[in-house]
Amino acid sequence: MIKVVNLKKSYGRLEALKSISFEVEKGSVFGFIGRNGAGKTTTMNILTGLIKFNGGKIFIKGKDFLKNKQELVRSIGYLPETPTFYNYMNTYEYLNFIARIIGCNLKKTRKSVGKLLEMVKLTKQGKRRIGGYSRGMKQRLALAVAFMNSPEILFLDEPASALDPEGRVEMLELIEGLKDDKITIFLSTHILNDAERVCDKICIIDEGKILLTKNLSQLYETYIQPIFDVEFEEDPEDEVNLLKKFSWIESIKENGRRISIYVKDIDYAKKEILKELSKLDNNITSYRTRKSTLEDIFIRMVSKNEII
Amino acid sequence: MRSFKAYFKKEILESVRGNKYLILFVGTIFWALLDPLVLKLLPLLLKNYLPADLTVLFSTFNRDTAFQTFLKDLFQIGTIIIALTLMGLLSNEVSLKKLVFPYSRGANPAGVVLAKYIHYTVTISLFILIAFLTNYFYINRLFTGGMLSIEIALKSSLLYILYYSVLLSILLCLSSLFKRGLIAGITVLVLGYTLSIFNQFKVVRAYLPNYLLFKAADIGHIFDNSLIPTVIISFCIIILLIFFSILRMKKIDVA
Ligand SMILES: Nc1ncnc2c1ncn2[C@@H]1O[C@H](COP(=O)(O)OP(=O)(O)OP(=O)(O)O)[C@@H](O)[C@H]1O
Ligand SMILES: [Mg+2]
Repeated sequence: MIKVVNLKKSYGRLEALKSISFEVEKGSVFGFIGRNGAGKTTTMNILTGLIKFNGGKIFIKGKDFLKNKQELVRSIGYLPETPTFYNYMNTYEYLNFIARIIGCNLKKTRKSVGKLLEMVKLTKQGKRRIGGYSRGMKQRLALAVAFMNSPEILFLDEPASALDPEGRVEMLELIEGLKDDKITIFLSTHILNDAERVCDKICIIDEGKILLTKNLSQLYETYIQPIFDVEFEEDPEDEVNLLKKFSWIESIKENGRRISIYVKDIDYAKKEILKELSKLDNNITSYRTRKSTLEDIFIRMVSKNEII
Repeated sequence: MRSFKAYFKKEILESVRGNKYLILFVGTIFWALLDPLVLKLLPLLLKNYLPADLTVLFSTFNRDTAFQTFLKDLFQIGTIIIALTLMGLLSNEVSLKKLVFPYSRGANPAGVVLAKYIHYTVTISLFILIAFLTNYFYINRLFTGGMLSIEIALKSSLLYILYYSVLLSILLCLSSLFKRGLIAGITVLVLGYTLSIFNQFKVVRAYLPNYLLFKAADIGHIFDNSLIPTVIISFCIIILLIFFSILRMKKIDVA
């Protein structure tokens, strides 16, 4: 559905995207994750045709995006990071304005506007000027705009960043529902739990480079190894330094009296770790192994530990 | 066409809610009312304070000179008001990221630019026409003498309309070029005022749009052959600058 090849983008001297490539399948949810300033919004602005790029190729629905932009954009909906509207309009006026641009017929528009407002829970506030909306309300309205004319591809840039907890859950349910309708979703988010729940494919971007693109199931297979969480009675500073010397330990994340040990060789570690811990001069209050979550994988990837 | 209609309606709503119609109305029609009154009343009020020879100067106003005073004031103040009200026509849309949604839903830049240009040209033309007629009516009431007629007033207003259409296309184009509307506004003002200086030079003046203003005040010979190059050049400028603005709005980064 979307194919990006060696995409490059610079802002003056700053290389925001350093030749990235990936592919998004039809009807899938593509999770685009990365730290602040990684290049997520830049990528989405390019793929929705809002900004130019410096190199590479983009294909959407098999067609060259640059050559067929005007036509392809019609099947795309975009929820930008910070949506801006004409503040003097109310919600109905703005949605009608967008409907006119898309070219929906008026009768259909009236029905769909009502439905959209119900979906994003803005029916009651529909007659108020957008200028007086809260951030979350604006995000809800932006979602309604992105949804107009049921696009085939949806770009959602941190769609839940301003929503209340209830709204966030609704957003996830909505995305899950869209998956059933064969709509392709390109989702950027910082809430990795959410990404884990709804995405089919995960793409991690850092400093304008793609570190990994994998199906979620593959990801777990590859990076499944457990993490050992250990809690000590006293601050384990010396112990950590001691443990770090072992070649089978990859890294240790410290958090007060609790540490998380990431290892390179699981089978070996399982046998050795308890032995080594028991030799230490600091009593252990808890010991637990857990599966890595997307968050663990993410943190390990972006903290430059490419050897996992 | 879709984008044109959408943006035309949007500009109407924006002008109503942002009081732009009111400001432009005051900028044009207000002077048409005020000028003749001031010219009539000021000499009466100041009669006792002015030396006799100056009073004579005031009382020499006939319908023609009163009309010419209005033309001058409309140009000087109307231009400021139009330039400052409309300087953000495109630059604000871009810098405030208002075009993200419309562009992401396939808005056509040509429709956007044309809707804005045509909306404000029609608005200003209408206001100018009303202003000229009002002014004509008042002058007839308050002054005598001269050869001013409704036909002359209408011809003169046509030249003003053409002049402001050119000015608006310059403003539109500059507004698409600069991130800050103020730069566009001030450039248009400087351009408008300095080009008027060339009206003193017979060789070049017919090739500059400000000659339209000169001829508009030339009661008795408003339409003559000397205007032909000016009118042709004015239309060329408008078409060229609108075309350029559309190109620019196609290429510009809106996010
Ligand atoms: N208009 C701009 N001009 C100059 N630099 C920019 C511009 N927009 C983005 N950048 C730079 O490009 C890089 C990528 O920015 P981008 O907004 O894509 O990050 P992001 O991944 O969306 O971050 P966040 O998670 O904070 O939203 C950053 O270093 C940013 O400073
Ligand atoms: Mg971003």
